[in-house]
Amino acid sequence: MAATSPKVRVSGVSVTFQARGQSVLALDRISLDVAAGEFLCVVGPSGSGKSTLLRVLAGLLTQSTGEVRIAADHPGSPLTAMVFQEHALLPWRTVLDNVTFGPENRGVARGEREARAREMLAMVGLTRFARHYPYQLSGGMKQRVGIARAIANDPEVLLMDEPLAALDAQTRAIMQEELLRIWATLGKTVIYVTHSLEEALLLGDRVVLLTARPGRVSEIFRVDLGRPRGLEVRASPAFGALLDKIWSQLREEVLRAMAEERDAP
Amino acid sequence: MRRLTPWLAEHWIAAVSPVALVILWEWASAAGGLREAFFPRPSTIIVHVSRLALDGTLWSHASATLARVGCAFAAAAVLGVAVGLGMGLWRRLRDGLDPVFAVIYPIPSVLFLPLVSFVVPAGEVATIVTIAVTSFFLVAFTTTHGVRQIDRLVVEAATHYGARGRRLFTAVLLPGALPHIFTGLRLGLGYALIVAVAVEIVAASRGLGALLWLSWQVLKVEDMYATFFVIAILGAALSYGLAAVRARLLPWVQDVAHR
Repeated sequence: MAATSPKVRVSGVSVTFQARGQSVLALDRISLDVAAGEFLCVVGPSGSGKSTLLRVLAGLLTQSTGEVRIAADHPGSPLTAMVFQEHALLPWRTVLDNVTFGPENRGVARGEREARAREMLAMVGLTRFARHYPYQLSGGMKQRVGIARAIANDPEVLLMDEPLAALDAQTRAIMQEELLRIWATLGKTVIYVTHSLEEALLLGDRVVLLTARPGRVSEIFRVDLGRPRGLEVRASPAFGALLDKIWSQLREEVLRAMAEERDAP
Repeated sequence: MRRLTPWLAEHWIAAVSPVALVILWEWASAAGGLREAFFPRPSTIIVHVSRLALDGTLWSHASATLARVGCAFAAAAVLGVAVGLGMGLWRRLRDGLDPVFAVIYPIPSVLFLPLVSFVVPAGEVATIVTIAVTSFFLVAFTTTHGVRQIDRLVVEAATHYGARGRRLFTAVLLPGALPHIFTGLRLGLGYALIVAVAVEIVAASRGLGALLWLSWQVLKVEDMYATFFVIAILGAALSYGLAAVRARLLPWVQDVAHR
């Protein structure tokens, strides 16, 4: 039955890097399924390969072993669209032209792609800035453009690599709520990497905890905090309890990673 | 022009410094601190500039220089950008050409004139090729660097959003290199004028360099200074002209829009 088959299936994915003549195992046999429309958060200590996993899913990196399968339900749509941590906008294109970039490369007609881009810009609250260049925007606004660019490309799966990490705390809180609203509107499958447990619990349906290098799936937590969710959920006892539970496990991994770093030659 | 007034308010020193220099010079000559036989007053020089302009001498020489600079710069710009892009994109081409360029580039440009004359017809063509050489290297170097310095993350993001092959070149690599290309063009244009005047001193009967040298040889010091003045103004006009073109064509470059 279609409803039960996963949108994304990662099976036994390992990634090995070559560094200074040695091979380093970054990801070790990662397997997980992501349901259609799910908001999946990935957390783990630094160096656990969170971003590496996302880059494999985005096709920016080829895994050494294993397989990634993404169900293509809409022919013609790209499989993934990534929101990069450092926004990675094209400085020589206006906000509007950055958002139309993906569809333009796929040969979508100008009228159609611009109409869609304006819709997405309205969704992230940047209608008035369509003709601005990236250098004229604040960090938060640039990341909104990054999000608009990704959703305008209408991917099967939306990938986000710590998109809010570089923002100040207030902007981040506002953006978290906006992300929830956009996700609820579009119903996209999202895989979201973050180093913040609070953020993962606020946004995610499930939280995948990766171990320190090599990254393995340590445990997957279900976030039963109800929907729609807002920032106030952070005050609930259930939120605190789950946070403590995941943190005690993450703490072990972080300490292990630090010890390894210290002992490294 | 619309933006000139706020620009002057911000950068008034840029307008004041050359004027101050001229006033200082005029005063030093008038006070007897400078010997007028060797350092005529700016007011005298201006009189000679207008005299040379009115009897047609200036135009005849300036047009010859401008034509040479124009042809040489156009050739250097087209070839320099093409070769520079190639070197920026392909490591093999870069590895092959870099040492060759490194050896040729430091040779004083005027010395190419006899060399070039063995290959192409001596005279106007050889002059233009000689003027183009250094200009070409400057444009090629900056263009290569322009391609190489593009943020890898931006290229990766563009590729992720479907820009490949030709599309990656026209939509990402070329615009990403353009600010550096313009820097190279501005340097190259300045050098084309410098070398043109130098070549005209040694091997031309027409051109600002020729006029300069002739004035010096017959000890018409005022005319020599008048020619200096015209060359200086011409160089500044070309440089600022190209900067204005860059500001118009690349509105997304922060330093152009904000400084």
